[in-house]
Amino acid sequence: MPEIVFDKVEKRYGAVQVLKPLDLTLRDGEFTVLVGPSGCGKSTTLRILAGLETLSGGEIYFNGLPVSRLDPKDRDIAMVFQDYALYPHMNIARNMSFALRLQRRPKAEIDARIRTVAEMLNIGHLLERKPAELSGGQRQRVAMGRALVRDASTFLFDEPLSNLDAKLRARMRTELAELRQRIARNMVYVTHDQIEAMTLGDRIVVMHDGVIQQQGTPQELFEQPVNRFVAGFIGSPTMNFLTAEVVGEGDGLAVTGKGFRLPLDAATARRLGATGRRPVTVGIRPTAFVPAHADAAPLDLKVIVAEYLGASAVLATLCGGTEVLVETTATPLPRPGDVVRFGVPAGAIMIFDNDNGQRL
Amino acid sequence: MNDSRTPAQHPGFYALLVLLVVMSVGPIVLMLVTSLRLNVEIMSDTSSLIFVPTLRNYEQVLCDVLWYEPKGIDSCDPTFARALGNSLFIATIATVITLVIGCMAAYAIVRFRFVGRDGLTLATLMLRMVPPAVLLVPVFGIWTFQFCIGDQCAAGTHWGIILIYVAMNLPFVIWILQSFIVQVPIQLEEAARMDGAGPFRTFFLIVLPLIRPGLAAAAIFTFRIAWNEFLLANALADRKTRTVPVTIVNSLTEYNIDWGVIMATGMLLAIPPILFTLLASRQIITGMTAGAVKG
Repeated sequence: MPEIVFDKVEKRYGAVQVLKPLDLTLRDGEFTVLVGPSGCGKSTTLRILAGLETLSGGEIYFNGLPVSRLDPKDRDIAMVFQDYALYPHMNIARNMSFALRLQRRPKAEIDARIRTVAEMLNIGHLLERKPAELSGGQRQRVAMGRALVRDASTFLFDEPLSNLDAKLRARMRTELAELRQRIARNMVYVTHDQIEAMTLGDRIVVMHDGVIQQQGTPQELFEQPVNRFVAGFIGSPTMNFLTAEVVGEGDGLAVTGKGFRLPLDAATARRLGATGRRPVTVGIRPTAFVPAHADAAPLDLKVIVAEYLGASAVLATLCGGTEVLVETTATPLPRPGDVVRFGVPAGAIMIFDNDNGQRL
Repeated sequence: MNDSRTPAQHPGFYALLVLLVVMSVGPIVLMLVTSLRLNVEIMSDTSSLIFVPTLRNYEQVLCDVLWYEPKGIDSCDPTFARALGNSLFIATIATVITLVIGCMAAYAIVRFRFVGRDGLTLATLMLRMVPPAVLLVPVFGIWTFQFCIGDQCAAGTHWGIILIYVAMNLPFVIWILQSFIVQVPIQLEEAARMDGAGPFRTFFLIVLPLIRPGLAAAAIFTFRIAWNEFLLANALADRKTRTVPVTIVNSLTEYNIDWGVIMATGMLLAIPPILFTLLASRQIITGMTAGAVKG
C-alpha cells in the first residue's frame, strides 16, 4: 500500500482558487477522513487523487513516485461514488466484474472474487438483478462491492452514505467500520458529516475554504481544536461560543461577558500571558457542563427549551442574550423559564482569538 | 363516481372519425386493390370493387428474384427488382454510416471541450435547415466533375448517393443524439474511467448501450429519409443505381403506364420502412438510466 503525499497541490478554476497549496500525507494502511462543509475542497482533493481532475500546481506522490500525469487506471485506485454510479444496463455481477473484465482476468478468478465480496457485503442474492431493481441501501453496497472486487491498493469514498436515510446511514456506517478492520488498505473518505468522520477515521483532516484547518485523531480534534472553525465543526451538539473579555482575577485570569464570569485555570492563564483586557470568544462544549459544585465556576442559565433524547437531554438556554446548548443527564428536566445553575470546569473552557479564530 | 366509460358522442364525431380514417387509409387501400388487378381491368370503364385478385403484378415486379418461373409473363423486366435492391442497400448503408459517425460526433460535442464547440453545435442545426433543392445543382456538379477516382465519379454510383444521404442526415442525427448523451450521468463515465476503461471503451461499453433509444429514433429517421428521397437520387443515380422512387417516376412514360406494376412496387416500397420502424422502435424504452445514480 503506497504512502500518498500531497505536495503543495493546488486547484484553480479560472480565477477561482478551490484548493490553496495543500500539503498532506496519507500513511500506509490508514483510514483518512476529509471532512468539511460543502465547497471546502474536500471532494476536489479526492477527485485529484483519483485522477478525475487535473491539478493546477504541486504534485502527488505514491511512495515517492509522481502520479499527477497518470490515468486513473494506472493509479491502482478504486472509488465509491456519492450517487453510486452503477452501470444501469448491466446486472450486479457484471457491474462488479466490469474492471476485472477490462483487465481480461480469467473467468474463474472473477467469479471467485465476486462471490467473496458479495458474501462479505451480503449481496449474494442480488447478483442477477439490475441496479434499478435494488433499494438505496443495496445499491450502496453494490457500489462498495464494485470497488472492493478490484482489490486496489487505495479506496476512495466520496460521501458514500449521504444519499441514505438516517437509520440506514447509521447501519452502513457501522458495517463500514467493521469492513475497514478486515481490509488493510489505504482508505480516503470524504464526508460533510462529522459523526461519520469521528466514528470511521484513524485520522481526520478538517478542511475549510480550500485550506486544511487541522488534522489529527478524532480525539485530538475534539479535545484540542486549533481554531474556532474546527471546534465548532467537530462535536455534536455544536460548541457554544460566547463573546467575552479577558480580565485579571486575583492571581490569575478570568473571562467575563454578559451574564457570566469564569475563572481560567493556571495553564490557560499562562498561555494567555499578559495580554491584558482584550475581547475574545469563549468556547464551551455542551457536554462540558456539570451540576454546580465547588470546583466548577458557577453559571446561571435560563432554560428556553428542553429536548429530551432518552439517555440525555439537550437544553437550549440563554446566557446574557446568547443561546447556549447544554447536554445533561440530570433528572427531572428543568422546565422552560427555570434558571438553573451549572458548573463549568476551568479545563473545559477554550479561548479563541476574535480576529483570526485561532485558539489561544 | 368513477365512471370510466366514455359518454356517448355526437354522431358528427363518428362521421369525422370515419372521414379521417378514409382520408388516411383510402389511398393505401386503393393502391393495394389496384396492385391486385390486371391492367385491362384497371383501365376498363366497368371496373368495380368485385374482381379476381391476382399476384401477376407482384410477379412482374419481382420476376428477377422469384424462386419459380412466373406463368403468363413473356419478358422479365429487372428494373423494379433492381431498384428495390438499390433502395435497400443505399438506405441501410447510409443509416449505418450516419449512426456510427453521428453518435461519435455527438459524444465529442457533448463531452469534450474544444475551440468552436458552441459554434459547431449551432452550425450543425443550421445545416439541417438548408432545403435539398438548394443543394441539388452544386451537389450534381461536384459529384459529376470533382469527386472522381480515375474515370469513376461519385455521381451514378451507390456510394455517391450514400455520401449525400449521410451528409444530409448527419446534422439532425448529431443533434438528436446530443440530447440523449447529455442525459447519461457523467458519474458513470467517471466510474468507468476509475474501473480502467479508456475513452473508447467508456463510449462503447457504457455510453452507447445507454443511448440505444436515441440511436433507434435516429435510425428510423435516417432510414425513412434515405428510403423516400427522390430529388437528389433522381439527379445522381444512373440506370443501374436508381432507387425505387426514381424508378416509379421514370416508368411513367407517354406511351405506357403500367399502373398495376407501379402500385405493386408502391406496396413493396412501403413494407421495409414499416418493418424497420417496428424493429427499431422496440429499442425505444424509457428509463434506460434508471438506477444508475440517485435522483
